[in-house]
Amino acid sequence: MKVKIVEKDVLNPLAEIEAIKLEVNPIPENINKISLFDNTKPNANLILKIIAESLDNINFHRVIKPAGAPATPQQLENAVQADLSILALGDCGSCTSWVILDAIRLEKDEIPTISICSHKFITYAKELARSHGMENLRIVEIEHPIAGQSQDRVERKVKKILPEIEALLKLDQKI
Amino acid sequence: MGNKHITNKNVKINENTCGCFIDDLIGENPEMDKNRKKELKNNRLCSSYENDLEVYVDSDTEKVSYDFYMRKLTDGLPIIPPTKEKLLKFLHYTDYNPDDVITILPPKQGKATVEKIAINSIMAGCIPAFMPVIQHAVQALSQDQFNLPGVNATTHPVAISVIINGPISREIAVNSGVGCLGPGNIANATIGRALRLCLINIAGAVPGISDHATMGSPAKYSFCFGEAENESPWEPLNVERGFKTETSTITVMAAEAPHNVNDHRSKTAEDLLNTIVNTASVAGCNNSHVPGEILIIMGPEHAQTVADNDWEKEDVKRYIHENTFLPVELADRGGRKLDNQWIIDSNVRITRSPEDVVLLVAGGPGRHTMIAHGFGTSSESVTLPLTLKDGTPLQSVQDYKNQNNKK
Repeated sequence: MKVKIVEKDVLNPLAEIEAIKLEVNPIPENINKISLFDNTKPNANLILKIIAESLDNINFHRVIKPAGAPATPQQLENAVQADLSILALGDCGSCTSWVILDAIRLEKDEIPTISICSHKFITYAKELARSHGMENLRIVEIEHPIAGQSQDRVERKVKKILPEIEALLKLDQKI
Repeated sequence: MGNKHITNKNVKINENTCGCFIDDLIGENPEMDKNRKKELKNNRLCSSYENDLEVYVDSDTEKVSYDFYMRKLTDGLPIIPPTKEKLLKFLHYTDYNPDDVITILPPKQGKATVEKIAINSIMAGCIPAFMPVIQHAVQALSQDQFNLPGVNATTHPVAISVIINGPISREIAVNSGVGCLGPGNIANATIGRALRLCLINIAGAVPGISDHATMGSPAKYSFCFGEAENESPWEPLNVERGFKTETSTITVMAAEAPHNVNDHRSKTAEDLLNTIVNTASVAGCNNSHVPGEILIIMGPEHAQTVADNDWEKEDVKRYIHENTFLPVELADRGGRKLDNQWIIDSNVRITRSPEDVVLLVAGGPGRHTMIAHGFGTSSESVTLPLTLKDGTPLQSVQDYKNQNNKK
């Protein structure tokens, strides 16, 4: 008698992902006002201040949002009162989550965004944006760490990303 | 070779049979139970086969565990191989269809179907009767106020504390007594683990990839227990949160690993609570700069000492709220700029209000309490009643079986 031993199949524990695709908003040619969306992480305000000082002839207004939680509807409403919003800072897990997810909420409200995340969290930030359908979300990578650093050190790191931010703005203007 | 069964290969001569099954030749037997028919069919020898017998055996645990581990599908511990046979047993304990989506879990936006929840529960070592608790816990985790995108991804070592109240906690023998936060009980050990595996495989919170905990915590393996309702001098958590005593509930709270409060000395409520608040007033927790919930698991002996002085539960919660604080110069060390609204008389309270004190009674003999700080302002605990799909509260986990038999 021939007997065949067959091992039972095992089932896959991984979930399916909802496939969606969203486009980012183009940055307008004329930018008059930028909202600086500060999630209150240490030195986020300094990063945004240095960026603002580097961009001429643009008005800025600062909006505060929680670090590890979503922006309130009122905070989002304040942030969309601009031609563009720059969000800082994703330099930990929960704050990266909510920088990216709030940026996507702003993009859905038709406001173009630039998010700033530290290089230790950039892979996660991009993957998060992709899994929420916004693969092309603009995310600028700054050198980690930012928290607990002297002002001089943070300034040096911010200056390294200024050309990329300026290029992003000019590049988008050409599209 | 335990747990084996013998079956034929599917050599079709029509849609349903290889042709040698007697019932197919003589026609349907309406008296024969459907399951019995299937069983007969699956156990019947057939001369048209390459092999005389095919013996199906359970997957090799060691091999599957290693394979799943290498694919980052586990928490690092061995798993029970999830097979279809095991899945079917779990599906008896839900009134949803296997592919019904219970919720979407961030950050990866994975569809938490009943089947995927069950598969991860099998892997965790759960028994099928735990399925209703796990299914509702997954649903609770996805509520906005819980903030799963933050909790899953954070560098903070926050775990998911799972608290089970009501008669179903006793029916499935959740430990609420001696060693309820430690080893030794299958419900406590595996329900929390099942949730962690759901977060890894459904939500995508793979450690080092989407779970960025700087060090993590042993509590992230499992942090599940029941409230010792019969040992408590106060109303249990499910009643405090608006449900009937007989309504079973699941509560999920984002919490650090518990820290012990040893007090064998105090004889009055105030003395004892002072030991607790002085243990809870620490600078390094999230709550020190973004106040939020704190879990207080009071041992029955401590609770009795406090109640003997006629302190009600709300008195205890208020006292802990008002007296758990630290000087402002010691707060604001967790990474977020301190908001002025939290500063009162140059101090920062650990909680925002007495409601933030999640107080319950559990544990065995001994004069200990456990405290666990929450995730700060960014997450709030969620309590859901265990119900059927139509909202009817569950009296027993067997209610699902009765529902399914009616179908």
